[in-house]
This record gives sequence, C-alpha cells and structure tokens, in this order.
Amino acid sequence: MKQLISVFSLLLFSTIVQSSSPDPRDLIKQAMDHWRGLSSYSEMTMTIHRPDWERSMSMRSWTEGDKTSLVRVTQPKKDAGNGTLMKDNNMWTYTPKINRIIKVPSSMMSQSWMGSDFSNKDISKSTDIIDQYDHTLVESRDNEGHNEYVIESIPHEEAAVVWGKEVLTIRDDYVLLEQQFWDQDGVLVKTMKALEIKQLGGRTVASRIRMGKVESPDEWTEMSVQEIQFNQKHDANLFTLSNLRNPRQ
Amino acid sequence: MTALPIKSIFILAWRNLWRNHRRTLIMLAAITVGAWAMIFMTALMRGMVDDMLLNGIRDLPGEVQIHHPEYRDDPSINNSLGAADEQLVSVMEQPPVTAWTQRVRVPAVISSERESRGVTLIGIDPASETDVGFDAEDVKQGRFLIDADDKGIIIGAKMAERLETRLGKRIVIMSQDPDNNIADRGFRIVGIYKAKLASLEEMYVYAGIGTVQKLLKMDGQVSEIAITGDDYRKVDAWYPRIKQAAGDDKQVLPWYEADSYLGSMLAVMDGFVLVWMVVVFLAMSFGLVNTLIMAVFERVREIGLMLALGMRPATILSQILMESFLLLLIGLLIGNTLAILTIMPLQDGIDISIVAEGMEMMGTSSMLYPALKLQDVILANAVVLILGIITSVLPAWRASRYDPIEALNKN
Repeated sequence: MKQLISVFSLLLFSTIVQSSSPDPRDLIKQAMDHWRGLSSYSEMTMTIHRPDWERSMSMRSWTEGDKTSLVRVTQPKKDAGNGTLMKDNNMWTYTPKINRIIKVPSSMMSQSWMGSDFSNKDISKSTDIIDQYDHTLVESRDNEGHNEYVIESIPHEEAAVVWGKEVLTIRDDYVLLEQQFWDQDGVLVKTMKALEIKQLGGRTVASRIRMGKVESPDEWTEMSVQEIQFNQKHDANLFTLSNLRNPRQ
Repeated sequence: MTALPIKSIFILAWRNLWRNHRRTLIMLAAITVGAWAMIFMTALMRGMVDDMLLNGIRDLPGEVQIHHPEYRDDPSINNSLGAADEQLVSVMEQPPVTAWTQRVRVPAVISSERESRGVTLIGIDPASETDVGFDAEDVKQGRFLIDADDKGIIIGAKMAERLETRLGKRIVIMSQDPDNNIADRGFRIVGIYKAKLASLEEMYVYAGIGTVQKLLKMDGQVSEIAITGDDYRKVDAWYPRIKQAAGDDKQVLPWYEADSYLGSMLAVMDGFVLVWMVVVFLAMSFGLVNTLIMAVFERVREIGLMLALGMRPATILSQILMESFLLLLIGLLIGNTLAILTIMPLQDGIDISIVAEGMEMMGTSSMLYPALKLQDVILANAVVLILGIITSVLPAWRASRYDPIEALNKN
C-alpha cells in the first residue's frame, strides 16, 4: 500500500514539480524510491581508498521495498560469497570461510561495513531519514538545465541519529546529488557525493557515488554501478537466511 | 619468710628502671615509636580499605543486591526481574535498611558523530538512586535526572572527552530488546558527572529508568534491586530476611558475595593488621630483651646478695618482669598518645592525589581518611604487652636462677 501511494505521488509529482516548489519530505522519498524502485537488482563495484592502499570489490545486490535487501560479493575471490542481508532493521552477515551466519548486533551497527567508509547503519537505515527528520527546503537553483533542491534535514530530538543535520541536494529528476552529514556544532563531517550520472535500467541515476570524511580527504569509498534493473519480481526465498548461506541466484 | 609485698616489688623495679636512665629512655623511645607505628599505620590502612569498601559498595551498588539467577553470568536483558512486589517492599521498608532502588542495567553502545564506544547503560530512578548508588553531587556540569521518565542522559567527563561531545549535545544509545532486535534512540546530554575513579566515567551512563524500559520494551522489568543498610559490616543481620521475602527464584547476595574481592579485602585486612603488629613488635623485642639482659647482667652481685639474704627466686623474677612491664606501659602510653595526636589533625583526609592514578587501580580515591578503630588500638597494646612480658621471661628467669655464692663472687 505504502508503495502504491509513493508511486501514485510520484506520478502526481512529476506533473507539478516543475511549476511549484515541492515538499522537501516528498522530494527525499521520491529520490529514495527513484534509486531503489519497488525492487531492484544491481551490479556494482566498491572501491575503498586509503593513502597507502586501495582495493575493489564487485558485488550484486537485490532490494525490495525500503527495508529488505541482500548484497553478495562476487570479486575478488578472497571475499567472494560474503553476503549481507537486511530485513526490517535487522542485519545478518554470512562468511563462507567460517560457514556462519552472524546477526550484526547493535553494538556493531556503527562499525564500518566490509571495511568501507559506510557504516552498517548507513547501509541498513538509509531510508530512516524520511520519518525521523524534519525537512526544510533551503535552496532551489538552476544548474545545467536542471532544478536542484537543497534540503536541510534536522533529526527529531529522540531519533537515533548522531548528526546535527543532514543536507541533501536532489535534482528535479530525483537524482540524489549530494548528502552531507553535519555534526551538532555545525561542522561538516562526511559527505556522500554523486560523481557521475547516467542512464541505467531506464532511469537516470547516480552511477558513481563517493563517501568520504571531510577530515581525511584521501580516504574514501566509491560505489560505481555497472548495471541496474528496476521493478523486477524477486523470488520469495531471496531474502531469507537460508538463501544468504546457500545462494540460489 | 614471707614473699615481698607487690608494693615493694614495684618500688624496687621502678628505682632499678631509672638507675641507668639513658638506656631506659632509649628503650622507651623504641617502644613509643613501635606503638605509634602500629596504631598510625593500621589506621591508615584501615582508612584505605574502608574507603575502598565504601566506594566498592556504592559502585555495586548496595549492600544487598537482588538479581535474576542468571543475570550475573549473563547480564543480558532477558535475565531481568519483575519490579519489587508488595511483600518485598514491606521488608525493604524496615530498618536497618535505609534505602533501596531498582535499576535497569544493560550493555549498550553510545555513539557521537565521531566515536562510538561500549558502555553499560543504567536506568535509574533518580528519587531513590542517590541514597544507594549514584551520587547527584557527582554531576559537575548540567543537572541530575529529574524523574524516572527524564529524556536526558548523564555521561562521565572522560566519556564526553572520548566521544568528542559535551553537555547539551545529542548522542545515540543502541542496545537490544528482549527479542534481540536493535533498540536505539537519541538522548540529549543533560549532565556530565565526575567519578572518584576516572575508569568508571567511561563505564557507565545514566538515564531515567522509565525511558530505558520503554526503549528496550522491558515492560516494567528491572535488572537489579539494590538495598543499603546503616553499616556494611552488619549486613548479615538483615539480608536473610530480604532473601526470604524475595523468594527462591531470585538471587539475593550481600556485598561481600556480590563482589568477593571486596569481601576478601576485609578479611585480608584483619589478618594483615595482626601480622604488621607482630612484625613491628619483633623488631622491638630484640631491643627489649637486650636491655633487660644488660640490666640483669650489671647487677649480678646485687641479685646474688638479695638471694643470699633470703629473697625468693620468684620475687627476683617478678621484680624483673615488673621492670619490663613498667617500661612497656610507659612506652605504650606515650606511643598511643602520639598516634592519636598525629591522627587527629588528619581526620579530614590526607591528599594523596600525587599517587592517585596508582591508587585508582586499587579502587581507592585520592583522599585518604585514617580510620582509628578501638579494636586495633586494643590489639596493638595487647600484642606489645603480652608478647613483651613473654620475651622478658627469659632474662628474668636467668636472673632468678643464679647461685648466690657464684653470683656474689663475680667480680
């Protein structure tokens, strides 16, 4: 039902968005839905860069709705088969080397995901921003023929969010251009930025995203998407622990 | 021939004592210093251990704790108790119990924008907590929690430093609810506390018990009930009653079992005091025996004469023992006075913050309060007197066994 409404509002929006200034909350929701679709399948490469080393991992990921997703590493061989399953704010990882499924405990949610600059929380709760923040549109500007909206999102008092605010820049075709994480003293801590935007799977999406801390500019993690398909029907057993352990795709 | 009356023995002993007053004074000084060292050092050590125990009991907290039987092995949220029922409350309201409180205590993760750390999240009822565990005075910045449903959190100064956060900012607490789902929420830091031990500041964060129960979906459950009476040494008198009222399905432990390190500390201390006193006495006793042997040796002829005139060996023996007794008595008198005089001005505590970091590892704070206990003073005096007399028996015995002819003929 929720999905239906969002699709409906998407349709509704795309007609009026050009004329009036949009509701920032909906804008974020559209951007999230635009990126995820009702469901999606994608192939991507994650590059973790540090001053003295760099490594890349290829992975495949499936999503369904806001809260269900599965990521599986395919390359390099050393990491192949590592998987992460997220379902309703719970997270499990599987490592073939030890043949164990581990539920990621709350104590590890703020640790890094697979050694990257993304935390487990960043990965599993990316859509929480919609409900747990107050959004205000602070700027709307023209850039290369597109409208760009800058939205400032301030977390609710009791939201499980450490940030003082997040600033999102969303293009009028719902591409999330930039997401900034500010601390409570108004200092920018980290940013997630779209470096490349192209047509994939019939949509315009950010195909290269870089996450990095402001304090250490030569440490970052980049996600580049090779292939993405939207609104595919997934098998019912895709997002299960048994499938996490024994891949059927 | 009748035995000499005790008064004459006393006069003889007293006069003999001051025949060589320099030697007597030196011996007196030795006994005085010995007695002073025994009492003063014991008071210091007692003070240190008392402080350690009181701190320890406050951190436990409580002199008696009630837990789920499994909680101490696995402090997870699943091992919690129902809140205290009427029967238990009525027992806990009786003296000598002075205060009790209920707490939720679970492992959690605290995160700021830049750091995250493992902590123990303690949900407290501010009204009753301050009499048992957390001291509201320790909150150095901001305020203490107002009520059980306070939405704020109090963290330690060291923790604030580690998290690069401060009063008034928000942090996120993450833990697990009984179904192993992640429970998290933001808290605003309303207070920053300073503990006597900096290590504790990193270990505990405090929030309202109602807020924590709601966050963790605990439904009124608590992790522990802590009860405090008027004297931690007398806990045995009342804790069985609590145990009975709590029922068999709960684990009720007095502090010395809840933290057996603390418990053994007290027993070790008693043994240690005795050993310390005996060691000091041993050093002293050599001087004492030597003095008496010399005193006897000097007056061999005199003793021979007295024996020849018909004084009984037993009287000689008691005369020399009396000498030793007087010496010990005067020494102890001065030693005790001196010890009390040195402890009195230090009652307000000795600042040992120079070595505070080392003391902290032992669990004591940077102020040392000497604790003078009557039983220790009595013990010190008894050790010196009794063992002193026993060691004096040897020279006295030898003096009383002289053959009068031989003694008289000694140059």
